[in-house]
Amino acid sequence: MPRADFITGLVLILFSFYVIIESWRMPRLEHLKIHPLSVPGIVPAFIGGVLLIFGLILTLRSIKRKGYRIKITAKELRQLLNHPGNQRLLLTAILSIGYAGFLIGNLSYGLATGLFIFLFITLFEWKQETMLKQRTKRLIMAIIIAVISSVAITLVFERLFLVTLP
Amino acid sequence: MNMAGLIDNLSRFLGAIGGFLTPMALFHMAWATLLGIVIGALPGLTATMGIALITTLTYKLPPDLAILVLICVYVGAIYGGSRTAILINIPGTPANAATTLDGFPLAMQGLAGRAMGVATSGSVLGSFIGMFFLATIAPLLGNYALKFQSFEFFWLSIFGIVISGHLTALEDPIKGWISGFLGLLVAMVGQEGIHAYERFTYGTTELLGGFSLIPAMVGAFGFAEVLSVMRHPPAKMAEAPRDSVFPRVRDVLQYWRTIIRSGLIGTLIGIIPGVGEDIGAWVSYAAARRKSKEREKFGKGSIEGLMAAETGNNAVVPGAIIPALTLAIPGSAPAAVLLAAMFIHGLRPGPLIMVESPQFVYQVVAMVFFATLAIFFYGVVLSKLLLKVLAIPKTRLMPIVFVLCAVGSYAITNRTFDIWVMIGFGILGYILREMKYPMAPLVLGIILGDLMDKNLRRGLVLTDGDLTPFFTRPICFVLWVITFSSILLSIPPIRHALKETFSIIQTRLRRIRK
Repeated sequence: MPRADFITGLVLILFSFYVIIESWRMPRLEHLKIHPLSVPGIVPAFIGGVLLIFGLILTLRSIKRKGYRIKITAKELRQLLNHPGNQRLLLTAILSIGYAGFLIGNLSYGLATGLFIFLFITLFEWKQETMLKQRTKRLIMAIIIAVISSVAITLVFERLFLVTLP
Repeated sequence: MNMAGLIDNLSRFLGAIGGFLTPMALFHMAWATLLGIVIGALPGLTATMGIALITTLTYKLPPDLAILVLICVYVGAIYGGSRTAILINIPGTPANAATTLDGFPLAMQGLAGRAMGVATSGSVLGSFIGMFFLATIAPLLGNYALKFQSFEFFWLSIFGIVISGHLTALEDPIKGWISGFLGLLVAMVGQEGIHAYERFTYGTTELLGGFSLIPAMVGAFGFAEVLSVMRHPPAKMAEAPRDSVFPRVRDVLQYWRTIIRSGLIGTLIGIIPGVGEDIGAWVSYAAARRKSKEREKFGKGSIEGLMAAETGNNAVVPGAIIPALTLAIPGSAPAAVLLAAMFIHGLRPGPLIMVESPQFVYQVVAMVFFATLAIFFYGVVLSKLLLKVLAIPKTRLMPIVFVLCAVGSYAITNRTFDIWVMIGFGILGYILREMKYPMAPLVLGIILGDLMDKNLRRGLVLTDGDLTPFFTRPICFVLWVITFSSILLSIPPIRHALKETFSIIQTRLRRIRK
């Protein structure tokens, strides 16, 4: 954790500087004759200042705990990528962002949703079985779940609760 | 409160009860509580996420039915999480983490049914205790809050962030505070409320109104949770209890003191801004252990410990609604979504609630009442269905949850931009959580940002830059003293120095007594 804190601390310091500078650059609206203490930048600058203090504390504390020793070897990076949990995480992120960010809007909602659910289930469950028969069974199950879910979600939201779908 | 006032309030409550005795309201109550319990029982689906997702379904419902649905989901989810905690040692929601300590050992001893009964009675009684205080404190606080001015509201928002940050990250409060101030900063994006200047928008029209709360919450609690659940290996399967799940009167009578204490603690924790059900359960559990005559049983299957945890977490629910209704400051993360939903439905929680719509406060009390009755009903009849739900593999459940996250974010304003907001907050939320930054202060910050911004600037203008009223007005004084004490006490050298001073004083006092 000290290494993560060290990096977070540095990011926070840079980010708070950015916030303070941006707040300083905000107009003072003198032409509107407003009170100088009600200018738009005052509160963001205050928050930026507080975050700067927290960033400094986090960085100094992590330096004390030797968090500045950041050295990532190729082996460590490989281990990180080969970790099954991280692989699952990456696959989930790619599938979810692909669906919400790109499939929705380019395909009809029902089709995009069905495709996403089918791909999600198949990609995650494919490796759990080695026999072709079992895999085919899972594939059929994925198709059934995908079809039922996308139809049910569309009907429940659009017809029953009158919600507009993407 | 005088007798006439009491009778007046009681009649409002009974009127609200009567108002919900319609087939439509009962139907919504039934499905929403059941869904809440299922959401709570499924590890990875939390109460906050559940309410955020179900809010989408309520857009076209009348406001009272919409809030009824959300409160039923809220109460149901906090209760539902106990089932998983008892059966598979995994808290269904973070609120049930303390439940695992004694619930699972009881299940291992073949007493899973009895443990579920204890959880049911604890949750029901905790809810009722919290509900009693919701009905009595909320009107008083609402009337009292009418006296609040900009100075008080500024300190309330800072107090909320600092206390919530401290209590949700006890091991490292600075992370809680960072999370809270990041939330405040998020709230700065968009047109500010005094001069309508566009802050941090960089010409993006979608950001003019700032980040919408629902997509942000769905991201931070929904998408982040999907990522987290998929990263971890699957949980083990639950087995059906062999004994009766019906709550026993003897357990309630034997531990009535623990129930009342936990109910009070839970309600109080609920009232504190942004400090939720999980802390309520832990504090109730710790207090029960300290006062118990059978302390040695705690952690090995203590009925008292389980009762304390489950009473404590459910009492937080009505407690957390108290500040949400009367100050528009949520007492917990799920209450934050509830508050956002109230605004979406045109309701105006805040200090004027007792002036503008006192009836609504009692409607909320009635909603908690019905939700509590429903969890009791499901607690007794539901056990096999929940096991079937728990058996659904996460590889099949999570894609559907994510589909709901996308719909939930989109449906509020029909903008694809909000789906990207959800994705952004989901990734940010996941990274922050992995680094042990709590999410509740972040959400509280997003809600309180506007309140803090307007009131600090208004206060400064009113006093022409003089800071004295911010520190000398009685309520301000109490709030800043608590806020700064919380910060100072979390600095190790100061804490150690204080501990030493106290121990020296104690030793001297003992000597004097001798």
